[in-house]
Amino acid sequence: MDIYKTVMVMLVEDDPGDQKLIRMSLKDQRIANMPIVSPSAEEALEYLNANKSGDVQVNLPDLILLDLNMPGMGGKEFLRQIKSDPLLASIPIVILTTSDSDKDILESFKLQAAGYVKKPVSIADFQEVMRTLTDYWFTICRRITHEPDRENSKCLAG
Amino acid sequence: MESEQKKITVLLVEDDPGDQKLIKAAIPCQSCEISLSMVSSGEAALSYLEKTREQPRQFLMPNLILLDLNMPGMGGKEFLRRIKANEEFKAIPVVVVTTSDSETDIQECYALHAAGYIQKSAMPDEFSSVLQKLTRYWFSASAIMQH
Repeated sequence: MDIYKTVMVMLVEDDPGDQKLIRMSLKDQRIANMPIVSPSAEEALEYLNANKSGDVQVNLPDLILLDLNMPGMGGKEFLRQIKSDPLLASIPIVILTTSDSDKDILESFKLQAAGYVKKPVSIADFQEVMRTLTDYWFTICRRITHEPDRENSKCLAG
Repeated sequence: MESEQKKITVLLVEDDPGDQKLIKAAIPCQSCEISLSMVSSGEAALSYLEKTREQPRQFLMPNLILLDLNMPGMGGKEFLRRIKANEEFKAIPVVVVTTSDSETDIQECYALHAAGYIQKSAMPDEFSSVLQKLTRYWFSASAIMQH
């Protein structure tokens, strides 16, 4: 299995335990870069909007994993804002949440989430889900190249 | 994990009969019941979706759409634009499955809220493996809306 050298994942998740679990899972899936971790939607937005001020240039993530239930601005509002911003709308966002409410699922897809994953309970199941997720987004799906001279790791499945 | 059989309806919008066949063969899933509908143009896909609205007992709204880009008449991108602007259908995830590797196409499709962009492989085994990963993601890892 190839190492995903240039892939950048952003995690919007307030629970430290889940942050750790997801970070470890991503590392196990051989994603070389540490994920950008935002404990709140507000912080995540600040990071994503940083390029607009012109003072700072940050790398936009290739994928955002988004919890729905967070204090302050919830996941749905964050999703709504990103998807209505032409500069950020192309970033795929996958919901990663404890909720399995049909209403949350429907609303998330209406807001153009590109997947809705209910957080598994066991670590083994979690690893399995993360493997499926990374296989889909980084092995078989083509991604947008954010920087012109950045290596485009196409990593087609063998 | 879920022990109940998920019932999933997939709409394939694809004009090439060879690709239709390949995709149809690669779709079946062990833990779910898949119903695959195939249409060969953007126009036919829109008609199909309208039927699911007008005759919901006979035509099930798809849980997932696989969309080719290069089709005669209304192309894939125009279809994508239209259904994402339609309140009734915008929640259906659409995955582009195409021969095009143009950066412009990739960028435009994601900007139009495609939920994935897959480049068709010329080799059937490789394409089949790619489709397995696609079905694992959509039928097993991700929830989809049940109708």
